Amino acid sequence: MSSELEQRLEGLLAEAPEPDPGAEEEALHRALRALHPGAPARRGLRTAVLVFAAAAVLLGIAAGSLAAAGALHVSFGHKAKPRPATTQLVLPKGANGVAAIIDGRLSVVTTGGFRLQGLPVTSAALSPHALFVAAGIGQSLVALKPSGRQAWSHPARGTVIAIAWAPFGNRIAYIVRIGHRFALHVIWGDGTHDTPIDRRVRAVRPSWRADSLAFAYVGAGGKAIVYDVGHRNRSILAVRAPVTGVAFAPTGDSVAVEQLDGVWVLHQSSAAKIQGHVDAFGWLSGRLADVVPGQGFVLVRLYASSGASRGSFRAQGNAVTVTPKIVVLRRGRNLVAGRTTLLTIPRRSTVQMLEIG
Amino acid sequence: MREPSDRDLVQRARRGDREAAAALFRRYWRDAWRAAFAITGRRSLADDVAADGFERAFAALGRFDERRPFGPWLHRIVANRALDLLRAERRLSDEELPDTPDLAPVHGAGDRGLLAAVSELSLERRMVVVLRYGVGMTPKQISDTLDLPVGTVNSRLARGLEQLRESLEVEHVE
Repeated sequence: MSSELEQRLEGLLAEAPEPDPGAEEEALHRALRALHPGAPARRGLRTAVLVFAAAAVLLGIAAGSLAAAGALHVSFGHKAKPRPATTQLVLPKGANGVAAIIDGRLSVVTTGGFRLQGLPVTSAALSPHALFVAAGIGQSLVALKPSGRQAWSHPARGTVIAIAWAPFGNRIAYIVRIGHRFALHVIWGDGTHDTPIDRRVRAVRPSWRADSLAFAYVGAGGKAIVYDVGHRNRSILAVRAPVTGVAFAPTGDSVAVEQLDGVWVLHQSSAAKIQGHVDAFGWLSGRLADVVPGQGFVLVRLYASSGASRGSFRAQGNAVTVTPKIVVLRRGRNLVAGRTTLLTIPRRSTVQMLEIG
Repeated sequence: MREPSDRDLVQRARRGDREAAAALFRRYWRDAWRAAFAITGRRSLADDVAADGFERAFAALGRFDERRPFGPWLHRIVANRALDLLRAERRLSDEELPDTPDLAPVHGAGDRGLLAAVSELSLERRMVVVLRYGVGMTPKQISDTLDLPVGTVNSRLARGLEQLRESLEVEHVE
């Protein structure tokens, strides 16, 4: 017999507010787009599925028998325990925030007091001034505000493997893995107006131009492409494929394009190539910087937009990344930026991303 | 004129009839959204969860067994989507982020309402309570949806009800 509480609970949904009509129309639009006209599953297919399932059961029984006999280790749905935490990420002086992905786990700290450590993600990026962090979580692109109150989530229908915020924070370019291909999308900074840009691209993080009106990415053929979001057109940069990285300068419209054997710096109508493999490259204090290995140190070389040398300096460690203000290096177990140790990590850990905003 | 049945609409939508699909959507949108809201406690998440649920349901309509009722199937998809999102968020809230359901604007002072009390249940209890009483699933259907033993569903329901009773009694006394 149902209690009074249960009777009240049966009217639970009536207490919920009404959905927003705007959300309804958008959801209807999305749902109709997802509609695939076609015949229902055929009997033949169902039979094939049943045969496959029966085979799987038989295999399972055989594997179980072997496991029982100690001849085979069987594990279904085993979830690895979380790895012990690394040390807490330290915010470098003068920065708004720092984010790092170590072995697939995101750590973030910002001046606003936001701290996150060890969140499993597939990719991440700090917004300008580190006001937000966007991350690929499961099959969604998720944006978090330091307060956590204005978080939004967008179903990406695949694993988000690279994220780049526009310098004005109004748009995000991201790459999602769908099956065996990578697709490029742009979404507004508030998580709306997701737009597919290119159905097949390479898994290289896009880079926004300083005016937030265009970004560079690497197409499926390995060409560097600049997409203009205002005019919705694209232009291919005059650098031969394959391109392995792109980086617009933080001011102006110079762009650095990495290949396996060097870095091109393209500035208006000029182009210059810095020969030789580099460990990392980027824009440091408005100049192009690359990091090349030396004997027991790395050499950080600086260039003008014309490609002319602007000096170099030595540093101990291995290059992790070049950020707009500082080069991050790995020294033993430490990730260091200048005199600040940002993080101490297990020796064999992989640093997938490190950003200082 | 008699309204078309869910089955009619599903059959027509499968053939690509967008009007039938839209009718099916409008028939279930409000309930699906409210279920999503009851589970997540936040409008923005409910928008995402319900929209994503419909998108997935329509994409999978070809595989839907039309001898079964459409509603529970849709709610199952919505519930699973809500669960995925909340689990992802809970990993975040374990770190730093507070759980901030926006129920306050819905219920005025002194009338927190049943929904607000439900929102205070743990995610596991809240989910089974909403699916059982809000959506009307049986414990067996919930166990299939959440991939849990029926006994676990029943115990979570019992504990959820007990907590709700206590919570509402305290509120009444206050």
